[in-house]
Amino acid sequence: MAKKDNVRAGQVVGDVDAFVSAPVHSPVSGTVKDIALRSHPVLGRTMAVIIDTDPADATEKSPCAGQFGADFDHSAYSVEQICEAVRQAGIVGMGGAGFPTRVKIEPNPRLPKRTLIINGCECEPFITCDYRIMLEWTYQIIAGVKLACKASGCSRVVIGIEDNKPAAIETMCKALEACRGCEHIEVAPVQTKYPQGGERQLINSLLKRTVPTGGIPPMIGICVLNVATCAAIAEAVVTGAPLTHRVVTVTGEAISKPGNYYVPVGMQVADLIDHAGGLTETAAKVILGGPMMGLAIADLSTPITKTSGAVTVLTKEAIYKAKYEKRQTPCIRCGRCLDVCPENLNPTKIAHAVKNNLLDVAADYYMSACIECGCCSYVCPANIELTGYIKTGKLLVARAKQKVPE
Amino acid sequence: MLSKITVSPGPHISEPHSTRSIMGDVIIALVPAMFAAIIYFRIRAFVLIGVCVGTCVASEWLCNLIRKKPNSLDDLSAVVTGIILAFSVPPALPWWAAVIGSAFAVIIGKMVFGGLGANIFNPAMVGRAFLTASFGMLMTTWTVPVTLDTTMPEIAATGRGAITQATPLAWSKQAIKKKVDTKVVAAQLDASLIGQIGGCLGETSSIALLIGALYLVLKRTINVNIPLAVLGSAFVVAAMCHLINPNAYIPPWLHLTTGGMLIGAFFIATDPVTMPLSTRGMWLFGTGVGALIMLIRIVGEYPEGVMYAILIMNAVTPLIDRFCKLTPAGGVPNA
Repeated sequence: MAKKDNVRAGQVVGDVDAFVSAPVHSPVSGTVKDIALRSHPVLGRTMAVIIDTDPADATEKSPCAGQFGADFDHSAYSVEQICEAVRQAGIVGMGGAGFPTRVKIEPNPRLPKRTLIINGCECEPFITCDYRIMLEWTYQIIAGVKLACKASGCSRVVIGIEDNKPAAIETMCKALEACRGCEHIEVAPVQTKYPQGGERQLINSLLKRTVPTGGIPPMIGICVLNVATCAAIAEAVVTGAPLTHRVVTVTGEAISKPGNYYVPVGMQVADLIDHAGGLTETAAKVILGGPMMGLAIADLSTPITKTSGAVTVLTKEAIYKAKYEKRQTPCIRCGRCLDVCPENLNPTKIAHAVKNNLLDVAADYYMSACIECGCCSYVCPANIELTGYIKTGKLLVARAKQKVPE
Repeated sequence: MLSKITVSPGPHISEPHSTRSIMGDVIIALVPAMFAAIIYFRIRAFVLIGVCVGTCVASEWLCNLIRKKPNSLDDLSAVVTGIILAFSVPPALPWWAAVIGSAFAVIIGKMVFGGLGANIFNPAMVGRAFLTASFGMLMTTWTVPVTLDTTMPEIAATGRGAITQATPLAWSKQAIKKKVDTKVVAAQLDASLIGQIGGCLGETSSIALLIGALYLVLKRTINVNIPLAVLGSAFVVAAMCHLINPNAYIPPWLHLTTGGMLIGAFFIATDPVTMPLSTRGMWLFGTGVGALIMLIRIVGEYPEGVMYAILIMNAVTPLIDRFCKLTPAGGVPNA
């Protein structure tokens, strides 16, 4: 790409050859205005292609759920076709981690997959985007599930949905009954308990199996996909459309019109907030993601990415109550962080090791096994940013490793 | 649009409790026992609780002032230390001894280690141990509750009149030495439930302590593993002894309701700072406390035992923490 190039909607604007990667497509038609550094929710700042939309070609893309019904037949597509379509469409895990989906579903002789888990648990409180698409795009999701199941070679599919979403469970069950060839797909309600949507936690809840520390689900023959990812797979394989749009929950007390919006990837958070009626007077913190793991952004021109499930805007009172009303006091060793840790770690030990720059001690207490869910910080009576320290520690370890030559 | 935007690491919401609210809960839970103490010991209870709390608060304030540290009184931990220390001294203790004990508890027991969270031993127990070592006589003179009928044969049998009496555990010691029958002690079970017995200020009324304990357990302020382990292990040891020789060893339930057993199990051993972090560690710690209490009560010369048992286990806590290192949910990764 270069400046002043014309871009059409769906055209690839960025790609690399690396195996674990996915191309990025333009969601709109227009001209390239600039290629420059822009803020990014995870990377801080990164190179971005800035596109001016063409007013003459302002056709809005709309969801394609209408094309899918109970009669969808996945046998028309071969495993290679599915994998290639998923790769070409640039699909990544839309639950938040953003791991390229093709790498996940592709058959791997060394790590054969037997069970496919579909994550219908909302990753965090406040977020409802997965719930909405389960209600509205039911058949599209099921089509995606069938395709992913075929591509990955799994023989069993379990759709885990939290029990506070009875409507989604019912809709899914009814749709599965209506479909042919869905005997191997089951819907399993799971307890509503954050972080249920974490893949390690969901696997444990559904199958009573544990992913080894530092390991990944394929090691125990499991592949986990988010419902939104399944919908994207169905769209990519059947219509050939790349992943350029996603559903984003815009929520929080400081948003005038909270709701779920179908938005182009690359849209600026500021524009999305304007679209959702703008901020109220009391808005104080804008978070890309949910209130537990979301990243607070300083720059509202940060774009929505393929992994952004939500924009949460908190009021001044809410963040004051959560963080600033009570100052940080010494750890009283009450052990509440140990009680809530879903990975059974010792957050206070790790965090204090990081604080005192004892990274080897932190590693000794399995710092790398932390999933950064934030439960320890949430529950800490001394108001210590345990998750923050642990994240910092991981970053320091990663940096130290880079410096050491191999 | 936004003029100011806040950025911080997640999570961006939190549970609305704090160290202060936890300590506040403990204080609320101690109120029933405080009422019992005031009913049984009247003005003495008032003076002792007031003096202990006042001295603890003043000591902490002074330490912060000297060390040029920010004021830490708002976490209320000094108040808790003061109340618990007052509860664990005899009602007849002179006020100046209470001042010395409280100051020692906070200054040596807590502040020299670096304040709340850094102390190895429970500060109130440090203060009490200091008082026991320094003023042995004062710390073992038990006043009779003012509401008690002093013509009761058990009290008359002491021969010391209405001013002082032996505690049920002192009686049990006599029973072990075959000087009195265990029935004399067992007769005091009903009295120990409501608190009509001799003993430390706040430890006499089991019912008042249990009401407070129930509040703490229901509010999930304390971890129930520790009291269960303490009482469970003490009960098992006491029951075994009683079964072997019921004439020498008092029934196990009497061991649970007398002395500092309940206040120790629910309010002192559960001090978060000085207990192990992991659930396994808590059971080890609690079992150790219960077993040591019984060891001291049955074998030792001393009739009580809660204080030393807790102090000893406090010292072992870092070892327990090291021994009970948690295994991650996904197992230990192979290096």
